[in-house]
Amino acid sequence: MATQAPALPRVPEPADFDSYWARVAAELDRTEVAPEIELIPLRSSAEVRIYALHFTSIGPYRLFAYYALPAANTEGKPPGVDVRLPGYASVVGVPAGGLDRRWSGSRAVLALCHRGQRLSDRPYAAAFPGLLTDGIESPDTYVWRSIVADACRAVDAALSRPIDEIDRTDVVVTGNDLALFVAMLRGKRLASVRAAPALFNRLPETLPATHDYPLEEFNDYLRAYPGRAEAVARTLAYFDPLAAARRAACPVETPT
Amino acid sequence: MFPASRVGAVDRQGRPYDRSDPAGYGTSVTKPEGYDAFWEETWAQLQRIPLEPELAPVPLRSTPDVVVYEGHYTSWDGLRIACWYCVPVAPGLGRDGRHPAIVFLPGYVSEPPLGSGKEWARAGFACVVAAPRGKLRSNAVFNPGYPGLLTHNLADHQTYGYRGFFCDAWRTIDFLLSRPEVDPDRIGVTGSSQGGGLSIVTAAWRPEVRAACPGAPYLCGMRDAIDLTHTYPYEELNDYLRTYPDRRAAALRTLDFYDGINLARRIRCPTLVNIGLVDPTCPPETGYALFDAIGAPVKELCAYTGEGHSAGRAQHAPRVLAWMRRHLDVSDA
Repeated sequence: MATQAPALPRVPEPADFDSYWARVAAELDRTEVAPEIELIPLRSSAEVRIYALHFTSIGPYRLFAYYALPAANTEGKPPGVDVRLPGYASVVGVPAGGLDRRWSGSRAVLALCHRGQRLSDRPYAAAFPGLLTDGIESPDTYVWRSIVADACRAVDAALSRPIDEIDRTDVVVTGNDLALFVAMLRGKRLASVRAAPALFNRLPETLPATHDYPLEEFNDYLRAYPGRAEAVARTLAYFDPLAAARRAACPVETPT
Repeated sequence: MFPASRVGAVDRQGRPYDRSDPAGYGTSVTKPEGYDAFWEETWAQLQRIPLEPELAPVPLRSTPDVVVYEGHYTSWDGLRIACWYCVPVAPGLGRDGRHPAIVFLPGYVSEPPLGSGKEWARAGFACVVAAPRGKLRSNAVFNPGYPGLLTHNLADHQTYGYRGFFCDAWRTIDFLLSRPEVDPDRIGVTGSSQGGGLSIVTAAWRPEVRAACPGAPYLCGMRDAIDLTHTYPYEELNDYLRTYPDRRAAALRTLDFYDGINLARRIRCPTLVNIGLVDPTCPPETGYALFDAIGAPVKELCAYTGEGHSAGRAQHAPRVLAWMRRHLDVSDA
């Protein structure tokens, strides 16, 4: 019979927090971006071109992103780029359309599908629910270590575009917790980051008060494996979005 | 190289439309020739396919008050379809200690929400949360993707992707009827967006459904929606028609075969609809037209001012629960 989930223990910031993420950055440095781009005519129109952009993250693992480029350069200079990091879902939407299918013509958009999400799901197709605790027994096996790398690699992929196509000094990243880790690891290459942490923030306080997925995935795991609570807490300590925010190397906006 | 996409909403004559009268917009959806025979034949073929239901407990997702199972059943073209099945630990509130039951149908891009199934179970209902073909765990054979499903084989209504998808929704009723702990006289359907559209589809075709609560219904008034909005998923249709303008008539005819407005006329169970009056995804005009078409003698519309595609979900949820309890005759929850 199922029982109530035990509390997630509070643990201090790991002493090797910086070296843990430095190793991820080093893995990225050793991995060629290898971008490939292909037009998607069905989604393109006179106002905007939609491309499939493939590139490599750690593993190595090939990723997919939508890349939207305004057809007309109305500003007299190459557009800046919005790198959109995905939310917790299997599907990432096409970065076009909208109520009026307006296209500002002023910025390009790169919309990442991190590993496990559709279009970046070979060989790893994530389970929903399930992704949030995959490999959580150890910080070295936790899948979010690689997903943070994927998010950083999305910035690298944007910066791989030619200088007459985009303004490499004007790359803005938006997303959930992932955006703060990108601010930490790729901030020097970014104009700014807008982050709305939703997955890893203040979990010891939040988890006992919720039944809602995706956070309920943590409760499910702790209920099923109460003996691993300390190990889970130690893993999640490397993914504290506030710890990443303190190390941001670019301006960061968060909702108040 | 590429044609321009249209900007803003237009009326049926292609003129700019200010959307000032969503309740009076009406619909241009009509029943295509051969409509009734097509669905009767689909139903007859589906009946010849054995259901073959299977259940496996999922201890990882179960709690002290809800047992979670992963279910599978066979549907159109012989595909195995997955679902979550959530059962209250407490004794049933229905006849002979059995449970009243809810079919929860998922949105277009979201995965079947296990949390909603567990919430219904905590409220005293057995709940099946469907993962129709193309959703994770049901996508080994059919996987058109998102975007993709809405235009999969759009040129031909016989092979259009939603044919099997609708069957998968219908078969959730058979799945519940196969369960001894479910009270077969107390089954309701609900969901929002695509889940709202599929609630219409299921309530229309399955007389076993005794109450329906579709929210922000998608797949209803489709040929109108593409004039009114440019958000995905309806924008998939505009992408298709922009790319293949010569197939417009065939594509719109296919959509009419699958439009919830045509099916809604068959609904007889009490039906509660909620829409958002500034919904950018499923235009409120289509919600009103759907509501007008619903054939049930007992029906209510909650049109929430200032609400988008959530259609007032948070404030509307207690009304959905009350509607199900009243019309499924559950007084003891």
